[in-house]
Amino acid sequence: MRYILLKEIRGNRKTFLIWSVAVGMMGLFCILLYQSMEADMRDMADMFSHMGAFSDAFGMSTLSIATLTGYFATEVGTVHGLGGGMFAAMLAIDIISKEEEQHSGEFLFSLPVSRSKVLFSKLLCVGILLVCFAMLCALFYLAGFLYLEEEVPEEFMAFILRQLGMTMEIAAICFGISAMSGKSKIGLGLGITLFFYFYDLLGKVVPDIEDYLFLGPYSYANASEIFTGVEPSMESLITAILVSLAFIGSGFFVFERRDLAS
Amino acid sequence: MGNVVEIEHLTKSYGKNRGIIDVSFTIPEGDIFGFLGPNGAGKSTTIRSMLGFLRVNSGSMKILGMDGVKDREEILRNVGYMPSEAWFYDAMKVKDVIRYAADVRGVDCSKEAELLCERLKVDRNKRIRQLSYGNRKKVSIVCAMQHRPKLFVFDEPTGGLDPLMQKTFFDLVNAYVLEGATCLLSTHVLSEVNKYCKHAAIMREGRLSMLESVGIDDDTFLKFYEEQAGE
Repeated sequence: MRYILLKEIRGNRKTFLIWSVAVGMMGLFCILLYQSMEADMRDMADMFSHMGAFSDAFGMSTLSIATLTGYFATEVGTVHGLGGGMFAAMLAIDIISKEEEQHSGEFLFSLPVSRSKVLFSKLLCVGILLVCFAMLCALFYLAGFLYLEEEVPEEFMAFILRQLGMTMEIAAICFGISAMSGKSKIGLGLGITLFFYFYDLLGKVVPDIEDYLFLGPYSYANASEIFTGVEPSMESLITAILVSLAFIGSGFFVFERRDLAS
Repeated sequence: MGNVVEIEHLTKSYGKNRGIIDVSFTIPEGDIFGFLGPNGAGKSTTIRSMLGFLRVNSGSMKILGMDGVKDREEILRNVGYMPSEAWFYDAMKVKDVIRYAADVRGVDCSKEAELLCERLKVDRNKRIRQLSYGNRKKVSIVCAMQHRPKLFVFDEPTGGLDPLMQKTFFDLVNAYVLEGATCLLSTHVLSEVNKYCKHAAIMREGRLSMLESVGIDDDTFLKFYEEQAGE
């Protein structure tokens, strides 16, 4: 199992580095831009906070983008939320199905290791890379705060952890699909991330959806809520755990029993 | 000598499509068992069922004295499988693929792998994506043989190999069999069965018939193919 895990980590390290450096750098770039935009932000903040649904959707009605915390939540929150979700989806949706898609499954599954051990190694790889992604991005953001000699917002760790939870949930959904399908479905994975992201945005402006926001993973990872001290609802956390377990469990169950393509 | 493979009434269907029907055969220890049949007859389905890639509908399999379904992991520890298409991880180097297979098995096969690479003239520093079909096949042979398994399962192993490599391959198989291994050889090449196998069976339309002798002539052999093509 150890060797399968190591091989998976090695095989995905390029994707991991590209995504974490890209998202981290974008976040860092946003933070560094803050000082040069600070003066203009004061005028813009008032305007942005009175743009009705748009302000609600991006949390600018509750946070001022004139402050570094508000600016970080709206700008970096979007970059990290979308980037992290897309990376999680891309990583997990392909991790099992690629063996059949690229015909390497016949080699891997002829080795003396059970299907569930292979799946567990791959799941562990996804988990490890998502934690590393969160840590690396956090380092980039911290470097930005340090460079600007600004205090790191006290909600920063909560932001990173709740975003990590969101990426884990998206990865769990995609992992389950990957185990069940046997075909690469990167488009579907990215679609799932974008759907959840826009579902959360929409829920902020459409009252009918608001009550069901807890169903999506962005409900407990919304940066504007985290930085205004809103605690995640118990419903959203329980849903996240149940959805993740359901998809992972189904993935294991189906993969153990289905025929493998040559 | 006991039987290394005991397959009884194995049936596998793909929905409404036929796979294999009521397949039964045994392979005694030390045998090289020829497995003949036209494309789509069910040879690969039988092999893939034996190795646990496919879930069978009914029947039983006893391989190396173990239950083919329940003891899959332990069985695979003692099996060297070479699929008809030799696919690996494109970005990996040959030496890394060979070592990876040994590492997952939890055995140090470095000496045997080195020997096999020398015999088969495998360039271990190339990446898999740089290899031709024949050279990928040679890597597959090394992966199947390096841990000196008790049972070899070869699915059309010589396709893509030049005549010299084909001879080297069979020399290796014979050497391992002399040391006590057993071999299931699926092939389209009648001469390979005539020359190397002790027993043989032929598959047609998902059903298996044992051949009385491996020394069948070309006309009789081709008849099996014509009959399936005509059906």
